[in-house]
Amino acid sequence: MHDVARVDIQRLSKIFPPPNKGGDPVTAIGDITLEVEGNVFVSIVGPSGCGKSTLLNILSGVETPTSGTVSVVEGDRPAHLGYVFQDARLLPWRTVMDNMLYVRDDGEAGVAKAARYLEMVGLDHTHDMFPGQLSGGMQQRVGIARAFSVDPDLLLMDEPFSHLDAITARSLRDHLQELWTATRKTVLFVTHDVVEAVQLSDRIIVLAPGGRIFDDIAIDLPHPRRAADPKVATLQAEILGRFEEMHPTTAPT
Amino acid sequence: MTAPIALQEGPASTGRIRQWLISPIGAQLTAVVFFVTLWQLLTLIAPRVPGPVEVTQFLYTEITGGSHGGIVTGEFFEHFAITLRRFSLGLLIGFTAGLLVGVVIGLSGLARALLNDTVLVLLTMPAFVWAFLTTMWFGITWQAPVLTVAFVAFPFVAINVAQGARAITPELKHMSSAFEVGRWKQFRHLIVPAVAGYIFAGLRFAIIVGWNGILLSEWFSGQAGVGFRTRYWFDANRYRGFVGWVIVFIVFIVVLDRVVLNRFQARAFRWRDPIEVEVDLSQQEQVGA
Repeated sequence: MHDVARVDIQRLSKIFPPPNKGGDPVTAIGDITLEVEGNVFVSIVGPSGCGKSTLLNILSGVETPTSGTVSVVEGDRPAHLGYVFQDARLLPWRTVMDNMLYVRDDGEAGVAKAARYLEMVGLDHTHDMFPGQLSGGMQQRVGIARAFSVDPDLLLMDEPFSHLDAITARSLRDHLQELWTATRKTVLFVTHDVVEAVQLSDRIIVLAPGGRIFDDIAIDLPHPRRAADPKVATLQAEILGRFEEMHPTTAPT
Repeated sequence: MTAPIALQEGPASTGRIRQWLISPIGAQLTAVVFFVTLWQLLTLIAPRVPGPVEVTQFLYTEITGGSHGGIVTGEFFEHFAITLRRFSLGLLIGFTAGLLVGVVIGLSGLARALLNDTVLVLLTMPAFVWAFLTTMWFGITWQAPVLTVAFVAFPFVAINVAQGARAITPELKHMSSAFEVGRWKQFRHLIVPAVAGYIFAGLRFAIIVGWNGILLSEWFSGQAGVGFRTRYWFDANRYRGFVGWVIVFIVFIVVLDRVVLNRFQARAFRWRDPIEVEVDLSQQEQVGA
């Protein structure tokens, strides 16, 4: 279609000032170097407090790094980003369709595109409904459709299923896989759920407490993957095993 | 003899009457009847107070333009229209300024530090001070009542809107800037709807205090208008005229608040009230994740 997105993180650190007087500064990210290129689905996995969300915030420009550099480009221009948050973050006073149009500026063409993505997440009939009339899972599907509909070069997702119940989360993962298989966007997906990461990703970056890269695992299975597929299940067990090794060997700094 | 028979006739019909009496409309009407009766009783104790019949007669003559005796005829619509025009203009100025200053105070810490105290001082300023000050500045002109309304209404809107703007959730702001939504679009579709409840609260206060302000201003410095006419009857020692016009202001504010503002508010907040929006429940259940 066009050039591929490229995320380039070089020796990135983020140290927050001590939370209370006399305390020690908190290292959220400690010297990460990471490159992601092309139409891949990359998960960033780690226990809470290992700097996953901070990393996304730095990539999106909400926070600035203490040292090191990040660049997110598409060819030779800055990449256009899309977001899915932990909660849907819809404007409660706008209908579903108006929420989709809120993030874009192209009138009629936007309506057609928004309608297409709503259809892909199975929400064709909700155009004129208000978010308050939808279940949490349906709201999050609108959030996902919204992020895809802005044609991002890079999609950032911050634990988008963590607030949902297990069954809803499973059906949303299927929707996400369908959308991703159809569009092949470059995705950075933050999660604390290893099983979820294995099902969705081509590559898993494991972060350890203290914000260092503990492991970088390639997953070479065809998309879309079913959670019940034995190959997926085997790999999930293996990676969970590696994940457990991390705890005894690394003490938080 | 007929009354007991009627009562015996139907517990069903008395039940209906009772139900009507305790319904909101019944209760409101009862309150009105009670008040008018009380008023009538008051005129028995204090003969200088004009009674409801007398005042109604006055209002009828004033509204229909009939003769009050002598050469004085009813002039209701002339005065009312003048006041309404001044009031609308003053309210528009005060409301717009209040909305802008309120949003700025709510969103910027520096603006809050600069302006918050000023707005608080304005808030404590009684309406009659503005009525006097504007008369001193502009003399007996239309600007005096208009600016009185604007000055009185402004701080109420500003302080309410500022509170609302401070309450906007940072998550939605973050989402908007992440998707690079333009500033004007954010103002219209994020900030204004988020503070709409506060805007309405501010507008309600502004209308009540602004109306107060215009009556005072016209009382002191008007040559026409509702306040002027009220004073005219007061000075002429015709208390039925005075009381009649007082009733006119009250009815005006009540109607404005109940009918116009309430309807406006119901429309602005239809997203909170899903009953008004048609929902295909069967379909929703099918796909409800």
